Amino acid sequence: MTTIDIELLSVSKQFGANRIVDDISLAIPKGKFVSILGPSGCGKTTTLNMIAGFEAPSSGQIRIRGRDQEGVPPEARKIGLVFQNYALFPHMTVAQNVGFGLKMQGRPREEIADGVSRALKSVHLEGFEDRYPKELSGGQQQRVAVARAIAPSPSVLLLDEPLSNLDLKLREAMRVELKEIQEDLGMTFIYVTHDQEEAMAMSDRIIVMQGGVVAQEGAPADIYGSPRTSFVADFIGKSNILPASAEPGADRNLKVSLGAGKAVLTAARGDDVAPDNVRFCCIRPEAVRLAEAAGALDEPANRLTGTVQKVVNLGAYIEAWMLVDGGITLKSMIRSTRLEKLSAGCRVDLAIAHSAVQLLEQ
Amino acid sequence: MAVIICSTPTKPLRAVVPVKGLLPLIAPSLVLVLFFAIPMGMMIGISFQSQTEGSPTLASYSRFFSNDLVLAGLARTVVMSGLVALCVTVLAYPLAYYLARATSRWRTVIFALAIAPELAGVVLRTYGWLIILEDRGFINSALIWTGLITEPLPLSKNLFGVVVGLTHVILPFGVLSLLTSLQGINPNLEKSAQILGASRLAVIRHIILPLSVPGIVSSFLIGFTMAASAYATPALLGGAGFKVMATMVYEQVLFYLDWPFAAVMANVLLILMLAAGFIGSRLESRLHQKLHL
Ligand SMILES: Nc1ncnc2c1ncn2[C@@H]1O[C@H](COP(=O)(O)OP(=O)(O)OP(=O)(O)O)[C@@H](O)[C@H]1O
Ligand SMILES: [Mg+2]
Repeated sequence: MTTIDIELLSVSKQFGANRIVDDISLAIPKGKFVSILGPSGCGKTTTLNMIAGFEAPSSGQIRIRGRDQEGVPPEARKIGLVFQNYALFPHMTVAQNVGFGLKMQGRPREEIADGVSRALKSVHLEGFEDRYPKELSGGQQQRVAVARAIAPSPSVLLLDEPLSNLDLKLREAMRVELKEIQEDLGMTFIYVTHDQEEAMAMSDRIIVMQGGVVAQEGAPADIYGSPRTSFVADFIGKSNILPASAEPGADRNLKVSLGAGKAVLTAARGDDVAPDNVRFCCIRPEAVRLAEAAGALDEPANRLTGTVQKVVNLGAYIEAWMLVDGGITLKSMIRSTRLEKLSAGCRVDLAIAHSAVQLLEQ
Repeated sequence: MAVIICSTPTKPLRAVVPVKGLLPLIAPSLVLVLFFAIPMGMMIGISFQSQTEGSPTLASYSRFFSNDLVLAGLARTVVMSGLVALCVTVLAYPLAYYLARATSRWRTVIFALAIAPELAGVVLRTYGWLIILEDRGFINSALIWTGLITEPLPLSKNLFGVVVGLTHVILPFGVLSLLTSLQGINPNLEKSAQILGASRLAVIRHIILPLSVPGIVSSFLIGFTMAASAYATPALLGGAGFKVMATMVYEQVLFYLDWPFAAVMANVLLILMLAAGFIGSRLESRLHQKLHL
C-alpha cells in the first residue's frame, strides 16, 4: 500500500473576489516525483504556498502525513522549499546556508557539519563550503538551494520552477540530477513547472492545472497518450486538434467527421467518451505517418492522401504540414531519413492508426 | 573547454560624458557656489578673525576649547544627538518593516500617517509637545489630578523633553531610510528561513537584522546629524538651561555679536557632523562588503 504524504481535500483559495484555486483535491504518494504543470497564472505557486503554510486555504483541508495542517505555521511543517530565484542568504557562506535548517533545529555543531557535507555531496558541490552565494554561478546557486532544502531531511520537498533561470543545457543536466537526488533520498518531490517537457522527463505523476482547477492527473505516458481535454492535449506535447463529431461505426469503432464532414476517420472506441459528447479530435503529429513507413503497422489504420504544404527540418525530425483530402491540415513529425523525398507540393500517402485518433469532450 | 580571449581595444576609449553633457550642470553649480560654498568659506575665514586685531588668529578656537560651559554644550549636543538617533532608529524599524512587507490598503494609510507630521512644520509640532510635557501640561495635570503625583514630573526644559520632540520630528526620515533598505530584502529569504524551521524571532535575528544593517547605519546617521543641527526644538523644549551647539551659535550671533566665536562653534559642529558622516559611510561600506550584499 502506498502511503499518502500530502493530501489536499477540496482546497480553494480566494484573493478578494478572485478564485485562484478552485476546489482542488490531490493525494501525493510518498517517495514519488509529482509535477504540478500549468500555464502562467493558473495557481501553481498559490497551491505550493498553501502546502508550505504561507497562505491559508479559503476552504478545504490540507493534510501532511495524515495530519490536518490548519494553524500549523510553515516552520513546524517539516517540508523543504526551493525557489526559482534560489533565495540564498547573501550574508552567509554556502556551508552556513546549507546548515541553516539544522541549526534552527538546535543540532550540535558536528552534526550540522556532517549534514552540510552530506547535502553538498549529493548535489556535487564539495569544496564550495566557504564561498558566498554571489561568488557562484546560477547553476551552482541552484544546487546550494537544493542542498539547503534537503539538509534537514524533510520528507517532502516543494520546488517552484527551480530550473527556469538556467540555460537550456544546464536545465537538461539538472533535470537528470534532480531526479537522481529524489530517487537516492526517496523523498517526495512536488515540482511546479510550466515546462511540459521538464514535467514529462522527470515525473512519476503529473497534475495538469488550468485556471485553478485540475484538468488531468496521471502518469506522464497516460496524460500524453490519452489527454482528456483539448487544453491538456494542446499543452502537453504537440498535437493536431480539430473540431469533430462522432457516431458509432462498424466493429465497435467510431466514425469521426472532421472539417464539416468532408473528412471521415475511424477511431478506436475509448471507454470514457460517449459519441454524442465528442467535440474535438486530437492526433499527435508522430501518429501521422507516411504510408510506406506505416506498412509494418500491425493495427488497423486510416489511409489518407495529402499534399505537403510546408516542411521544417528540426534535425532528427522533420515537421511537415499536410493538406489531406477533405480540406483539413495535419501536422506530422517524421524521422529525417526520408527528408530528401519530402518537399512542398509532393503527394503523399498517409496512415493514422485508429487508436491514435483520440476523442475529446471539451 | 571554453577559451576566453582577452583583447585590449585598439582605439583609445572616448570620454563617456562629452563636454556638452555638462551644460545642464552650470546653473545648479552656480547656485551651490554662490549660496553654499562662498558663505561656507566666509565662515571659515571669520572664525580666524579677531575683534580687535587685523591679522588672523586662533584666539576664538582656544577660547572655545578652554571654556567649560561651551564644551559642556558640545558634549550635550553629542549625547542628545546620539539618543535621538537611537530612539528614531528603534522606533522607525518596526514601522518601516511593516511598510516594506504590507500589501493591504492599510499600507498607504500608515505610510501617509508616518510622513504626515512633516507637513505640520517643526515649530508647530514642538509647541504641541510643549503643551503635553510642560509642568502644567497635559501629562502632569492628568497625573496630579489622579493623585499619582503631587509635584509635576520634569518632562520639559531638559534632555528628556528635547529628545522626545526631536525624535518625533526626525522619525519620518528614519522610516524612509530604513524602508529603502528593508524593501531591498527579498521576501523569499524570509520564507526560506521560515520553512527551514526558523521562528519569527529567528528570522528577524538571522536574516532581517543582518541584512538591514546598512539601513540602520544610515538611519542612525540621519538622526544624529539632523538632531545635532536642530535649533527650534532644543530652543523651545530645552528652555534656557539646555544649551546645545545650535542654540549657542544663535546666542553668540544675536546677543553677544561675537561673530568669530559663533563661526568657531559652527565649524566645530560642522566637523562633528562630517566626522559622524565619514565614520557612518565607512562603516556602511565595510558592512556592505562583510555582509556580501
Ligand atoms: N497575494 C495575492 N493577492 C492577490 N492575487 C494574487 C496573490 N497571489 C497570487 N495572486 C493571483 O493569483 C493568480 C495565480 O498566481 P500564482 O502565482 O499561483 O500563479 P502561477 O501558476 O504560479 O503562475 P507562474 O507560472 O507565472 O508562476 C495570479 O493571477 C495572481 O495575480
Ligand atoms: Mg508561480
